[in-house]
Amino acid sequence: MRSLYVEGDSRLHRLSPRIKLILLVTVSLALFLTRSPIVLGGAALAGILIYASLRMGWRQSWLRLRPILLTIAVVALATLILNTAEEGMVVLLRLTTLMLVAAAVTATTPVGSFIEEISSAARPLERIGLVRADDIGLAVGLVIRFVPEVVSRYDILRQAHRARGLKLRPMTVIVPLTIQTLKSADEIAAAIDARGIRGHKPPSRS
Amino acid sequence: MSTRDLVLSALFAAIIVALGLLPPIMLGFIPVPITAQSMGVMLAGVVLGARRGTIAVLLVLLLAAIGLPVLSGGRGGLAVFAAPTTGFLIGWVFAAFVTGFLSERFVRSSQGAALQTAGFFAAAVAGGVVVLYAFGISYLAVVSGLGFTKAFVGSMAFIPGDLVKAAVTALAGRAVMAGYPLLPARA
Repeated sequence: MRSLYVEGDSRLHRLSPRIKLILLVTVSLALFLTRSPIVLGGAALAGILIYASLRMGWRQSWLRLRPILLTIAVVALATLILNTAEEGMVVLLRLTTLMLVAAAVTATTPVGSFIEEISSAARPLERIGLVRADDIGLAVGLVIRFVPEVVSRYDILRQAHRARGLKLRPMTVIVPLTIQTLKSADEIAAAIDARGIRGHKPPSRS
Repeated sequence: MSTRDLVLSALFAAIIVALGLLPPIMLGFIPVPITAQSMGVMLAGVVLGARRGTIAVLLVLLLAAIGLPVLSGGRGGLAVFAAPTTGFLIGWVFAAFVTGFLSERFVRSSQGAALQTAGFFAAAVAGGVVVLYAFGISYLAVVSGLGFTKAFVGSMAFIPGDLVKAAVTALAGRAVMAGYPLLPARA
């Protein structure tokens, strides 16, 4: 699985992830506080310039945004028809700007920096016993590691169906896929504990 | 949280991600292909219960937020949270929780198969349809300025499909429980 991060050395790349996330939240709040089409139009233009400054190429830039832009366009069109043209414009400009800025943050921040940022944000929660900060990175790693495994299990199931002349049905795929995958949990958990990855403290709650 | 619970949540998150990568599966009796990913959310609650199911869904959303294309159709990154349909993504967390919470209370291993399936179906409809749409429609109504009535009518078209998914979830949840029971028992 390839992340949506794009290698580069722009000013946005060098900015700390924390600042980028705070800026993103500020921008989204600001966008929802104004209803002026001129201000929102200017913001959208700025969003396009920021996104374009990443130089991902036309095709890549478009492909990343296409599915989200499509839902924004459909909803903006519905608002335009059912309410007023002005409201439709406001929805379109506001969400498009937000999408562009968010996509720019994603393209300039590597997955590892995000995880570091989230883990350090979770430290205070660790003190009240809600979550172990290091578990977040571990869990994310586990998911990334096991997606290809689940997909290859699906391929084996598909071939088994074909060999028997059966059609793929949700029930005959999802049930064995789930059981086979979850059955490996004990082994994986034992491997993690044997390596002392989560430290030697006994688990706080089972 | 025990290491086993953490691993179970992560494995289920991997299943939900994989369900989004797979081509849509055809059901026998209706001609519309179903995207399996949103079904994975209900299934997480039904199979793992409230706590682990919710964590599995949170992990999927976390992976999407940090820039991995884990949502169906290869969507990912912070931009997916800027769509008018973001309420449905946020609703996933609560859908998995409610489905799991109710499953733990409705379904017992001592019950017959039909009763278990009915319990899972009720839990999946309450979580995966009622709660999910409450979040999705509210968010859509506010963000688009359409108002609740229009947002509700616009979302109606998707409800039959999600009811079918709830039914498949119930059957699958029953079968998984028979083969490899994981749902925490509640008095």
